[in-house]
Amino acid sequence: MTNAAAAARRLAPIFLVTAFALGPLAQTAHAQKQGGSITVGLEIDVPGFDPLKVGVYDAAALTPAAAIFDTLTYLDDKGVAQPKLAMSWTHSDDFKTWTFKLRPGVKFHDGTPFNAEAYKANFDRQKDPGNKCRCAFYIAAVNNVQAPDELTVVYNLNDPSVNYPTLVSYPNQNAAVHSPTAWKTKGDDYNRNPVGTGPYILKSWTAGDRMILEKNPDYWDKDKIYLDRIILKPLPDAQSRFASLQSGEADLIWDDEYDPDNIQKAQKDPKLTVHSYTGSGAQVYAFNTKTPPFDDVRVRQALVMAIDRKKMSQAITNGLAKPATNPYGDGSWVKCKDDGALPLDVAKAKALIKDYGKPVEFKMVVTATPRGRIIGQVLQQFWKNVGASMELDQVDQATIPPRAFMRQFQLIPWRIVDLADPDPQMFANFHTGSPVALANYSNPELDKLLEHARVTAEVDKRIEDYCAATRVINKEAIWFWTFQNTYFAVSSANIKGLPKMYSGMIDVSRVWKE
Amino acid sequence: MVAFVARRFLYVVPVLLAVSLLTFLIASLLPGDLAYVILGDQATPENLAALRRDMGLDQPLWWRYLSWLGHVLQGDLGRSFRTGQTVLQAVAERIPVSIELMLLAEFIGLLIGVPLAIACAARAGGAFDRFMTGSAFGMLSMPSFLTAILLIYLFAVELHWLPATGYVPFTEEPLGNLRFFVLPALTLALAEWPGIMRVLRSDMIATLQEDYIALAKAKGLKPSRILFVHALKPSSLTLVTVTGINIGRLLGGTLIVESIFALPGIGRLLVGAIYTRDLVILQGVVLLVACGFVIVNFIVDMLYAVLDPRIRHGHA
Repeated sequence: MTNAAAAARRLAPIFLVTAFALGPLAQTAHAQKQGGSITVGLEIDVPGFDPLKVGVYDAAALTPAAAIFDTLTYLDDKGVAQPKLAMSWTHSDDFKTWTFKLRPGVKFHDGTPFNAEAYKANFDRQKDPGNKCRCAFYIAAVNNVQAPDELTVVYNLNDPSVNYPTLVSYPNQNAAVHSPTAWKTKGDDYNRNPVGTGPYILKSWTAGDRMILEKNPDYWDKDKIYLDRIILKPLPDAQSRFASLQSGEADLIWDDEYDPDNIQKAQKDPKLTVHSYTGSGAQVYAFNTKTPPFDDVRVRQALVMAIDRKKMSQAITNGLAKPATNPYGDGSWVKCKDDGALPLDVAKAKALIKDYGKPVEFKMVVTATPRGRIIGQVLQQFWKNVGASMELDQVDQATIPPRAFMRQFQLIPWRIVDLADPDPQMFANFHTGSPVALANYSNPELDKLLEHARVTAEVDKRIEDYCAATRVINKEAIWFWTFQNTYFAVSSANIKGLPKMYSGMIDVSRVWKE
Repeated sequence: MVAFVARRFLYVVPVLLAVSLLTFLIASLLPGDLAYVILGDQATPENLAALRRDMGLDQPLWWRYLSWLGHVLQGDLGRSFRTGQTVLQAVAERIPVSIELMLLAEFIGLLIGVPLAIACAARAGGAFDRFMTGSAFGMLSMPSFLTAILLIYLFAVELHWLPATGYVPFTEEPLGNLRFFVLPALTLALAEWPGIMRVLRSDMIATLQEDYIALAKAKGLKPSRILFVHALKPSSLTLVTVTGINIGRLLGGTLIVESIFALPGIGRLLVGAIYTRDLVILQGVVLLVACGFVIVNFIVDMLYAVLDPRIRHGHA
């Protein structure tokens, strides 16, 4: 047991503050029924599982990945890292070296033994510059991984990380462990024929249609696996996806807050259960503080004070989206008594703009999608009310990151994804000189807080640091936050045991049917 | 006949070339840069430049077109950068679904449209004719996404007769396969039959004015025999044209219908390629679909010649 994990345990109660009630935990209930199958309706086709090919796993890929692959750790209901392929872990005093002891006797579905060598091969393949994997971006903070013996893996990090085991807790493109034999022998075909150590084995996959997973009879934790079979289908249309659930062709479907009518209908239907989880991130926006009018703090503050998040949630999601005044969603262990959020104050905002003296005209980057446009239009109205004129700059989703990195924007949307620890993103987004410090803003006080938080193990002190950092950011209004990341799944009422949807992942590998 | 086929075929070549040029231009001129899409959050200026060089994106447009066309002529339409599949593999997996959907839709459309057209033409201007012409107009203005949702709610959610979404291959379960196709094919057919009916109806009315029909009547032939045997074939020339051109409309319809009913066909492949900016798949599939359309209409031209001897002898 490490210091950080122990400290996190002491603070366990605060992790419990999550959005809605979820199904009972697999560990506590005894009514689990063996057998049967579940059909899950996802939003989009999964492009594949080879990190070199797909780069990043999207939400749809995480559901099958959670069944096919294992990770070193998993997050329990309280958000604490628990053993999975790793049985225990320790760290160096400076938190830059983490040593994981692996579970013995685990085999991949193709019979290849799982060991430190196999784990290292996964990491090296992603990290190898010759492979040009997009996935390498997300392990940039890891210098190397070593395999000193059969069952020991050592992570050598570039920067300290007090909570590293929580960062390898869900099967994304980097943390899912693949069979080295499989990717070597299958080559280009590996992408659609993934092999892991997980509780389910991929049986068949028809392009654009069903993916069938069957229970792995040799799974190391097979007593906690109940369903014989998982069928995954891409159902791209929200209306027909919901109709499939109502008619019984699907047992569980992915959904989101932009489909509020169906979610609210399901909440009233006793035959259906709505599962939702509010994560540890938020939808955020960054001002470029090096370009006028945003080089003046009064303008930035005025615009933030003009945003009525409740009204905005009502307009775009029928009230489902949960307002955010800091970057730590309800699912985060960072809770601030005072986050220094600027109040909604139209009169004050008008006064600040008047005080600025020059006309406030600017362009805001939005995605050229119905969602991007409606968000832009709502903000446009708020800002018009206080005398600022915003023009929408509609761009393709894919051009947002490069424009952000090259600072070719005045105001740009961004996202804080759910990581179990705030450090990677807070440091990258707000520390002077980081490529993702989009606001082009530098503040020694903020830098000091972020540097301190990443090398401190005591959770209370880290919370103080992160809340103080947020107060600086809110006061200077260099970024603002609109809504927390909230995830939805709707199922028939007889589906039980769905764990919290950390990072939006719908993990059906341990559910059962009543 | 051979000369006619050869002449027609010569028209096809420039059409296909124009199609390939247009497809390439549309895909290349879409806003958004392929290099950005592939690199995502790693799109630093240096990485972008290197990737553009690797992919030849730094070459002039005409050169890229010619080299793409060169590859296409050798049967190499490229590979999806997302899944690593070749365009031909992806299309081969998906095309049977779309062809089955379109054939069934056309079949149901004809099944509804042809009898109604004959019934209307037999008593042109009568109450039934006026009612059907009005209904056809109404059906024509129903968008397929609305029809689809209404059908799903009625037959899947309320009555539980048919599945709302999904697919099984015909080879696995022939009857189940048809069950999955009923609603999508019906959705398309409901937009198809009005056109079929109206075209056939007006041609049929014209045919029924002909002298030989009057002769047939005078000979005392049964009205049903006159309608089905003597009047239908000469009236169906425009119908055949419409059926051919409809393939294009149906292909457009599959984009929406396959997405709603979650059928793994070519329309879904295209929609997915557009959403994920998979330009290689996008331009490859559009080219193949356009070729298919041109070939179908080439076959339709051939069918005219069978139906009407004047055309094959060049007197029309």
